[in-house]
Formats: sequence, C-alpha cells, structure tokens
Amino acid sequence: MRSDSRVTFSVPAIRSAAMTQTSSKIGYDKISEGDEAPPLEVGPLTRTNFVRYAGASGDFNPMHHDDTIATQVGNPSVFGHGMLTAGLLARLLKDWFGPEALRKFQMRFSKQVWPGDTLTCTAKVTGKREAPSSDGQVEKLVDVECAVTNQDGTEVLTGTATASLS
Amino acid sequence: MAVDTSVIGKPTSANRVRIERGPVSFFASALKDHNPVYSDPSAAKVAGFDDLPAPPTFSFAMLHMGKVGQEQPPDPTKGTHPMNEVMGNLMKEGGIVLHGEQDFVFHRPIVVGDVLVSEGVIKDLYEKESKGKVMTFIVMQTVWKDEKSGEPVVTETFNLIHRK
Repeated sequence: MRSDSRVTFSVPAIRSAAMTQTSSKIGYDKISEGDEAPPLEVGPLTRTNFVRYAGASGDFNPMHHDDTIATQVGNPSVFGHGMLTAGLLARLLKDWFGPEALRKFQMRFSKQVWPGDTLTCTAKVTGKREAPSSDGQVEKLVDVECAVTNQDGTEVLTGTATASLS
Repeated sequence: MAVDTSVIGKPTSANRVRIERGPVSFFASALKDHNPVYSDPSAAKVAGFDDLPAPPTFSFAMLHMGKVGQEQPPDPTKGTHPMNEVMGNLMKEGGIVLHGEQDFVFHRPIVVGDVLVSEGVIKDLYEKESKGKVMTFIVMQTVWKDEKSGEPVVTETFNLIHRK
C-alpha cells in the first residue's frame, strides 16, 4: 500500500514523462462494475497537517488548530477539517480517473478525524452508463462509491462520485 | 425551537476570484499530492491543460484564498451573512457546528488563469432529532461561473450542522 510517498523529480522532462504516466487514466472499456481503486493511505496525521491545510484553504476555524478553544467546547483536542479528508479522497479519484474526469463528488462526514489518525481512502465502481452531455455528445460515465476509514476501521467519510471516461 | 425558514432563498455572497499558481500548488501540497501537474506548467500542458489545473476540492478554498486583491461585486447580504447569523444565534446557547455534507458538480476543471464569479444562496434550513438531541441543518449552494463566457464551472452545495 502506498503511504504518503514523496517522489521528487529534478528534471522537468522527467516530470513531464512521469505526468504522462500518472495521468494515463483508465479507459471506459477497461473498467467494470466492482473494480476497486488502489487504496490510498495517509498518516499518521499531525497537527501540522491540519495547520498546513488551514493555511492552504484559508479556513482558520480554531477547532482545527487551537487546542485551548477546541477542548473548551468538549473536544478531546483539535480535529481535522472535513475538507482535508475530502481532498485526500478526491486525490485517490483523480489518480484513478485523471485530473479532468470528475463530474460529481458528494460526501457525508460521519466522524471527526483526530491527530494521530491514519486514513485509508477507497473507491469501488458501482455502475457504468452512457448519457448525453451538454454539448450534444455522448459521455461515458462511471459511478463509484467511496469512503475514508481510520485505523480502527471506522468510516469517517462516505461518498459517491461520477467520472467521465473516454 | 422552530427554525425560521424565511432565510431560505436569501443570498449569502457574491464573489470574484482569479486562479493563481501559488495557491493551487500550495493547496495540492497540503493534500500531500506531489503530482507535477499541480506545480509544473509543462507537466500540466502534457496532461492537456493550458496551465496548472486546480485539485477537485479547490473551489471550496477559493473564497478564502482567491478573493485577496480582486475587485469584488457588491455584497448582496448588506453585511449580514444569513448562514453566520443562523449559526451564531444557535451557538449563543452552546453546542458545536460541524460540516455535515458537501456536494460538487464539476462542469469543467478549474485552471490557473481563470477568473470566476459566484453567487451563493441559502437552499434549505431544517431540524432533525437524533438520540434526544436537536440538530439544525443549513444548506448553502454556490454556483461558480467563468466571468468571460458566463458558463458554469463548479456548483457546490455545503451542509452545515449545529448540534447541541
């Protein structure tokens, strides 16, 4: 399982070649109902991860970085932004289908994410269909159910997504 | 306590953002996504984009990151954000506010160089009782459009919960 691996490239040409590879999205004809994405594991998450996401998203709700305030309202500590969890799951979908393929992504946040949690993002194809697109063409759509679970196997986020493949 | 549903249909904001490389790259790195498509314009070109694309959930952050220094449309709320007003009143009696659900419809990817405009509106406000506790849900929808073409880019639906 891939766990927050940082691959760095020093030469732009190699980066481009790597990109071609990482964006070699799966074709509509190659995917079937029941297929699963390679899971993405991220963690253990730290307060620094939360603070970094706060800065990157501009969401400075103190529940996500200030233990004093978070514990005053009954939380054991700060907890992660729901949209940080969502962003990690979106990354899995993007890696699977390509950066331009997503058409829909909807989710429900069911549990909070705490410092020290290790999250696993998963996705599974639930159906394939062809539908007319806004420009009069036929779009080949893949529907998936997706989830993020913590190290105890508890779901912290559940969702569905639709991608357009060629 | 019954909720005052007169807030449904009220505008929440009007916004204008210019998508820039720095915030897009920083956002991807905060998601531990080191794919060069988010940092290297030549990799983005190979992948078929004119410039860096934004990660799928970036639109949720644009309000905070992208408004800085941009000319904004007139504020349709007259200074009182209806979502903040509803949640602020509930929080006076304690409790916690949580992000319950989120929904994106992507009409096309967001790409660096885009100038996007949005209007938000309150779509729903309702209560539910769970395990003897009252939860209040407020739903806001924001439609982002390309300023030049007027075409929709992303439609976001944000569901916030107040729990006692």
